[in-house]
This record gives sequence, C-alpha cells and structure tokens, in this order.
Amino acid sequence: MGIQEQYRSEAAALLSSGEVKLVIGFGAGSTADRRRPLFARTPEEAQKFVLDAACIANLSTYLLAEGLLSDGKKVGVFLKPDGIRSVNILISEAQLKPEQVVILGYAIENGKDVAALEGRNISDFSIGEKIRNLTPPPHVIEAAEKIEAMSAEERFEYWKEEFSKCIKCYACRQVCPMCYCRRCIVDVNQPQWVSTSSHTLGNFEWNLVRAFHLAGRCASCGACDRACPVNIPLRLVNYRMGKEVRSAFDYVAGENSDQKPVLASFKQDDPETFIL
Amino acid sequence: MTRILLRNKLDDCIAAWRSAGFSVLAPVKRHEMSSFGEVQKSSDMALDLVLTERTIKDQFFPQTEPLIKYKIGKHQIDSETMTPPEQKRVFFGVRPCDASGLAIDDPLFGWDYKDDYWFRRRDNSVIVTIACAQADDFCMCTSVKLSPDSAKGADVLLRPLLEGSGWQIEVLSERGKALLEIVSSLLLEGNGHTFPLPQVAEKFDVEKVMEWLADPASFESQFWKDIALRCVGCGSCTFLCPTCHCFDIQDEGDTYQGIRRKNWDSCSFANFTMHTSGHNPRNTQSTRWRQRIMHKFNYYQGKFGVNSCTGCGRCTRQCPVDMGITETLQAITNLPR
Repeated sequence: MGIQEQYRSEAAALLSSGEVKLVIGFGAGSTADRRRPLFARTPEEAQKFVLDAACIANLSTYLLAEGLLSDGKKVGVFLKPDGIRSVNILISEAQLKPEQVVILGYAIENGKDVAALEGRNISDFSIGEKIRNLTPPPHVIEAAEKIEAMSAEERFEYWKEEFSKCIKCYACRQVCPMCYCRRCIVDVNQPQWVSTSSHTLGNFEWNLVRAFHLAGRCASCGACDRACPVNIPLRLVNYRMGKEVRSAFDYVAGENSDQKPVLASFKQDDPETFIL
Repeated sequence: MTRILLRNKLDDCIAAWRSAGFSVLAPVKRHEMSSFGEVQKSSDMALDLVLTERTIKDQFFPQTEPLIKYKIGKHQIDSETMTPPEQKRVFFGVRPCDASGLAIDDPLFGWDYKDDYWFRRRDNSVIVTIACAQADDFCMCTSVKLSPDSAKGADVLLRPLLEGSGWQIEVLSERGKALLEIVSSLLLEGNGHTFPLPQVAEKFDVEKVMEWLADPASFESQFWKDIALRCVGCGSCTFLCPTCHCFDIQDEGDTYQGIRRKNWDSCSFANFTMHTSGHNPRNTQSTRWRQRIMHKFNYYQGKFGVNSCTGCGRCTRQCPVDMGITETLQAITNLPR
C-alpha cells in the first residue's frame, strides 16, 4: 500500500472513530501538477485525499483559522517537517494545544518520493537536529550573499525595487502559519498605523513590519515566497532574519515545542551588544 | 485589402509614436514580474507571454493615487487637487481579456459621477490588442462569452501572422485610425495567413450560474461555506483582476497637512466592510467570497448589463490555494437543480 492509500484509510479511521472532527489534507488541483487543500469531515471525503511530491503547501496555517479549535475537539492534518516545525512554534507560543493536533506526517525525498513519518502527536517527532542542520538551496544562499555584499545604499535600492512590486494583497501574511494575529497591525486603522499606500514608505513599512515580527519565528516553509503573486523574494528576508537570531542567541525556531520564544524570553547570558 | 505591420518595422513605429508625443507601453518583464511598462524599443517588450502577471488596469487605476494635498492653517484650509497626467499613451500588445476589462469598468467609473482619474487616462490612451496565439490551463475567456480575438475595449486589433513576421491589422475606432496614420508609411498592404486561435474550452455555463445566483435561496446556501473553506483571505485575486475596482480613501499626514489618497481595497479583507461600531456584516471568508462572485455575475450585470469577468484566469493562476472563479462557477454549473 502506498502512502496515499495508507493515509486515506488512516484519515478515514480517525474520522469514523470520532477521534478527530476534521482532517486537513490535499486534494487534486485545477491542473495536473497542482494540489489544493482539502478538508474531510467524513470517511468518504477522506478517500479524495492525494499525497505525493506535489503536496508542498504548509497546511498548519489552517489550524489557527478562527473558531476551528475553540470547541476543544481534535483535528488531523497532513504535515511535512516544515509544518511540524510550525506546530512546534505555535505550541511554544501558546497558540495551539498539542493534544488537539493529530499529525499525519510525511517527507518528500529527492523531490519525488514521499515517505511516511512515524508518530501522530507532536511530541513523537524529533526534528530538532534536522532543523539545525537545514541549509537553504544553493541559489538562495547565493542570492543572500550577493545582497549581503552590497553597500547599504545598494541594498536599499535593491529592496526598494523589489518592494515596489508589492500590491499589498497580504498573501504572504495570510498563508503564513505564524501570522495569526486576529487583527494585524496594518488593519488597525483608528489611526492607520501602517500606511496602506503602495509608495516606497508604505511598501517598506509593510514588508519590514512582517520581517521583524517573523524574526526567530519563521519555519522556513517558503509559503509566503510561493504565495507572492508578484514574486518578491521574501525567502531572502526571512533567511536573513533567521540568521541574525541564530548568531545572536544560538536559537533556531521550532526545534521542539518546549522552546521559549526567543524574543519573548530572557536569559542571564543573552548578549547585550545592542545596549550602548 | 487589409494592412500588415511587420515585426521588423515595430521599432520604427515605436519611434514614430514617441516623436508624435506618445508614451509606448507594452508587456515587460522586470525583476521577475511581468506587467505593462514603458518601452523604448521592441526588444524591451515581452510579447510572447500568454498574459502579464499584473493587468493593464494598473495603468488606469493605479494602486495608490494622490487626490488632494491639504494644509490646515489657523484661519483657513488650503487644498490642491492633484490630477492625473494627460500624457498620450499607446498600449501595445494588450490581450483581449485585459482590454475587455477596461470596457467593462468604463460604465462603473462613469456611472453617477464621472471619475476624472480614470477617464483622463482612458481618453488619452490607444489600446492595440494582439489576438492570442496561445492559451494556458487557466484561460477561460470563452466561458464568459469573450474570445481569444475579442475586440472589446480595443482601438486596433492585431492578429499574429502564421510565420511570426508580423500582424494583420484591424482598425476599430477613430483613435486607432489616427494612431495608424502616424505610421502609415511603415505598413504594408496585403493579406497574410493569420495564426489559428488557441482552443479555449468552455469551463462552465455562465447562463446557468447567473440563474442560480439570481435565486434568492442561493444566497444562504451551504455551497458558499464549503467552497470558501480553504480561502486564506488574501487580496491577490482581486488585485490581479482586470475588472476589480474597489478602493479606499486614506488621509496620510499629520494634524496640519497631508495627502488624501485613493488606494486599492479588496472585498476579501475583513476590514473592507468593518463598521465603526465593530460590527462586520461580512464577518466570514465565505460571505466575502460570495460577495465577489455575486458582484461579478449578478449585481454588476443588474446595474450595467455585463458581467465583471473577462476570463483571464489570473484569480486561479496566482491563487496560493488554487481557488478562483473557474472552480466556483464550475461547481455552481454542476449543482443539482
């Protein structure tokens, strides 16, 4: 039995036993190479699940949909290691109760093979070491190094150009599991703290606010980067922020769910190089 | 006898239009994104794209537009109305779906009040559409009763010649005629073999959809909740839509001075309908998605006699969760009746 069939029947079993009220997985998309999020509430619907190497979205973003978990019931979800990492971060930030999430874990190997990950509860997955050793693809590192080698003026120009494409659709925010604020600061409009205009200032305000809020929290799933309809290289922003946090605090987000959020906690030996 | 514009004369045409005072805008690919931008020569153009990622709408209804500059003094308020430029523009290589979008939005911007910002740009622009030679999986113009060679919204329609050497010209308006006058010495007389139009399959039955939407019982249907379940509530489908036209007015500045701006807004956002009291009549994503579909295929039709969709398919093509108008309208078509 392939993993797709295995997970279809496991999802069906979870639903028919009543252990979970819903399973979030993937279904066929509008073209042969697309997959779309699929929500199954019955064992029959679970038969529509698809699981293959095209299932790259991080479905953990749906776990914090308004009201979904407020009844205390459990939800099943198909997650890759980056999704598991996201769940670790969400638990450590007290946004999820570990017992409410049943994980159908899988990994995509060599870009084509899908393997099941052992375990169902978040504590079953030890991804810490893997995450510590995770390196982005060479082209990302290369692009990041190119930007780091620029002068401050050149770098400003680079991001000004890139952010000038921004249409403020907030797709980056909406697909991000870490952007769970019920009211984002850009939507606070009495007064309007962050400009909704797509001029240079407004574009920087939005993109930098998001980058700052993700520092030490990003699961590197790449959802924002893929979602951006105007192809702003958001992965480079988040990669850099992750690097900063790691070098300052030796902290990698999402290693486990017991971590204390790095920017919301304090250690005696934290570096204080920024205090003059 | 029709006329032909040869590809190797395009640079001369651009130069002639520019010296006649026009800016020439065409599909361009810059910084990993395709949109309409100013070009100096034909090699700047990306004419082989199925469709640009951004629509031509951006050039008529910019995402942010300053309206008024104001200054509040002790005894008076000074304000200065900011008007859009009157630069004459040629849009070369517009796809039929995008050009149709302009024609669809005209009645909206000219309805109870003539939007000077829109019409100043419209009146100073000439639209040269190029019929499609290719389509992708997301194209659906035929489903909304348009076609890969629709002339709607165009002043000139070009049909690509089979051998790729140029385009056969069809003049559709006085404005188009005047534009071609400028380059008449560069055009050839003749009939070429034009490229066959791509087959764009009909994906839904728009009549059936409209009938279902018009039924008051459909408004509270469970259908909306099910179909919108995975919508993440971003605005990409609305901002990349060639006809979506909603905007918000924002004052930027301090207590004493500032600029009033017209910024794109989206019915996908919760803030779009948020009342000052905190009550939100569209407080779930399904009610927002329903609004988008109802607006395009019911309300707009009722007001202006036309659907507000050109079948470009961008909503699905660029949706992060593979939603879009096609899937929704297909599902409505297939609902048991």
